[in-house]
Amino acid sequence: MVSLRIRYITTVLDDIMKQTPQEIKIDKRMQPGVITLSGFLGDDTRHYHEIIETDEQTLENLGKTPEEIADRMQYFTDASWNSYDTPLEIENKFVVETEVVRGKLPCPFSHPGVYRKAVTRLTNTELGLTISWSSLNLHMIKEHHFFEGSGSVFRIEPELLVKVLF
Amino acid sequence: MALRIIYDILALTGVCAAFAVLLVIAQKFLSNYGEMKININGKRDLTVKGGNSLLSSLGDQQIFIPSACGGRGSCGACKCKVTEGGGPLLPTEKPLLSKAELADGIRLSCQVKVKSDISIVIPESIFNIRKYKARVAEIIDYTYDTKGITFELLEPSKIDFKAGQYVQIETKPYAKMKQKVVRAYSISSKPEDEKTLQLIIRLVPEGICTTWVHNYLQLGEEVNLTGPYGDFYLRDTNADVIFVAGGSGKAPIKSMLEHLEVVGTDRKMTYFFGARTTKDLYLTEYMQHFEKALPDFTYVPVLSHATPEENWQGKTGFVMPFFKDAIRDPKNTEAYLCGSPGMIAAVTKSLVEHGLAADKIYYDSFG
Amino acid sequence: MSISAFVLFWAAIFTSNILLTNFLGMCSYLSVSREVESSFGLGVAVIFVLTVTAGLNWVAHHYILVPLNIVYLEYIVFIIVIAAFVQLLELIIERYVPALYYTLGIFLPLITVNCAIFGVSLFLVIRNYNFLQSIAFGAGSGIGWLLAILMLAGIRAKLKEKLVPVGLQGAGISLIITGIMALGFVGFSGIVSVQ
Repeated sequence: MVSLRIRYITTVLDDIMKQTPQEIKIDKRMQPGVITLSGFLGDDTRHYHEIIETDEQTLENLGKTPEEIADRMQYFTDASWNSYDTPLEIENKFVVETEVVRGKLPCPFSHPGVYRKAVTRLTNTELGLTISWSSLNLHMIKEHHFFEGSGSVFRIEPELLVKVLF
Repeated sequence: MALRIIYDILALTGVCAAFAVLLVIAQKFLSNYGEMKININGKRDLTVKGGNSLLSSLGDQQIFIPSACGGRGSCGACKCKVTEGGGPLLPTEKPLLSKAELADGIRLSCQVKVKSDISIVIPESIFNIRKYKARVAEIIDYTYDTKGITFELLEPSKIDFKAGQYVQIETKPYAKMKQKVVRAYSISSKPEDEKTLQLIIRLVPEGICTTWVHNYLQLGEEVNLTGPYGDFYLRDTNADVIFVAGGSGKAPIKSMLEHLEVVGTDRKMTYFFGARTTKDLYLTEYMQHFEKALPDFTYVPVLSHATPEENWQGKTGFVMPFFKDAIRDPKNTEAYLCGSPGMIAAVTKSLVEHGLAADKIYYDSFG
Repeated sequence: MSISAFVLFWAAIFTSNILLTNFLGMCSYLSVSREVESSFGLGVAVIFVLTVTAGLNWVAHHYILVPLNIVYLEYIVFIIVIAAFVQLLELIIERYVPALYYTLGIFLPLITVNCAIFGVSLFLVIRNYNFLQSIAFGAGSGIGWLLAILMLAGIRAKLKEKLVPVGLQGAGISLIITGIMALGFVGFSGIVSVQ
């Protein structure tokens, strides 16, 4: 039992050197197969802190905060919430629809709370671009400034978001 | 020299052994809480090994409190009223409990550790929930993204549920998935088929369980199921019925219709199946069979995006405009809705406008 | 040694700070100092473990290693004592103070590999302290460690990381800050001595 303990400690050692225990837990939850099939990091080798900082920097250069983006996404999701299974046209240049499937997902940032599996698909007809996001994406962008790692299925580049949403 | 080395090694081994023994004794003494009593609803007493969470202690005794996150403290589904014992409130529980709940003694059963005798109060329906070992008996492809899976129950071999309820299925590790997850699906077969049950499962992009079911699950494979759960079930009255459910929401309705076919009924019923194109239609002929088998049942598929090529002759648009033809006495009409929260809100609003009582509108909002 | 335990206690905190003077216990210091709350929790745990293991290892040295003539196996035995004690502590805390157990979380096993703990045990052997001196030195070192990590955590909380050149962000700037703090502590030297 003591030996098991020592083995556990040595495997934890590597990670401990660079991250706090909480960060290690979050990183584990972002891996494929823990919360979602492909995880939240895609094939990005950077630590999630770096991903967040880089994206925050990009947004600062574009002049928008993650909160503004999240609020705008929420506006579209709310608008299309009631017209289930049918796209809704807004402001003459957006077509948006939200689809919900059964179940809820927890956030990898390890705080309590679960989020519905609601995917909103938005098309900017003026630019001819379509993006989609889930309720969990919205939450992570708003509260954690996390847009997911590059290569992840649900990652949306901040530049694309700013272009399409506004 | 060699003797010296052997002697020293023995001495070191002795020291290590002494500490190991000390720790084993300490653990036995400190981690062993002995046997504890759990009193349920003032009636039943369970004796369990102390030290584990309330959720798992009850689970070992075949009492399954609902949990969506597997006991990690994220979902709050395992709330349970603790009248005595339970220890101090833990920091992991506080964020998921409201002030009213805390005042009422509600705790998260996955976080409360049974370190002393404890008394709890749980609803009677929980006693009907069991863990089943089942085998895949049949896989049917209904549409390009929807499959019907029939499970033969092995142990226990019978299930007692009401049409409309759901079960939770446990996935097995596959591909990149190292752990198992638990996901909920409505039962689509009738309660009279006690030895088998069918689930209708639609493939969801990035879905852990639906990907497993569609791409990896084989005939004859054994899976674990827990259930039945849910307050969404057919009420035994004589009122008229309006069903509204699209996509995989058809599953509980199918269960209800099959059940009604067996027990017989002369209730006036209409089922509005909302879909986008003809590709999303399935079990249409089966629904038409119900139109003949039941004295007063009408199946109304409504497509919102039928293309001209499909040559759709049926109704188009939203389902709401067609309600008024199906309602003859709004005060004696029940509605059963299964689908996304947005759909439920929109349909409920329309039904209430048509005069239905809000408490006669039952729904399963994929929660 | 003729230094009183009381003087040793203060010396261990200021003039011979285990972290700022001897640079021991750096790894968890650098990573955990990102959050002030965790730093405080870890620091308190370190104080407790340091004090007790200093005593335990003194006993181990004088009553096990010396009589059995295996003083050269000191490193191994000290580590075993520390690991066993931390494990025991975890069991006790989990049983009697579960709320504290959840707060400290993984910090407890983390302390086992903190080189400051091991370093203190070795120092008390090298400097030939008696039992009371060992305990005082252990407690003082723990408090000194807590002080250092709290200071760094506080500074990092206020530090605008964006102003730091990219190559120095994170560990780089932390080590520079630690070096400056160590220089500050050098100012205490000569007031009291550890041996």
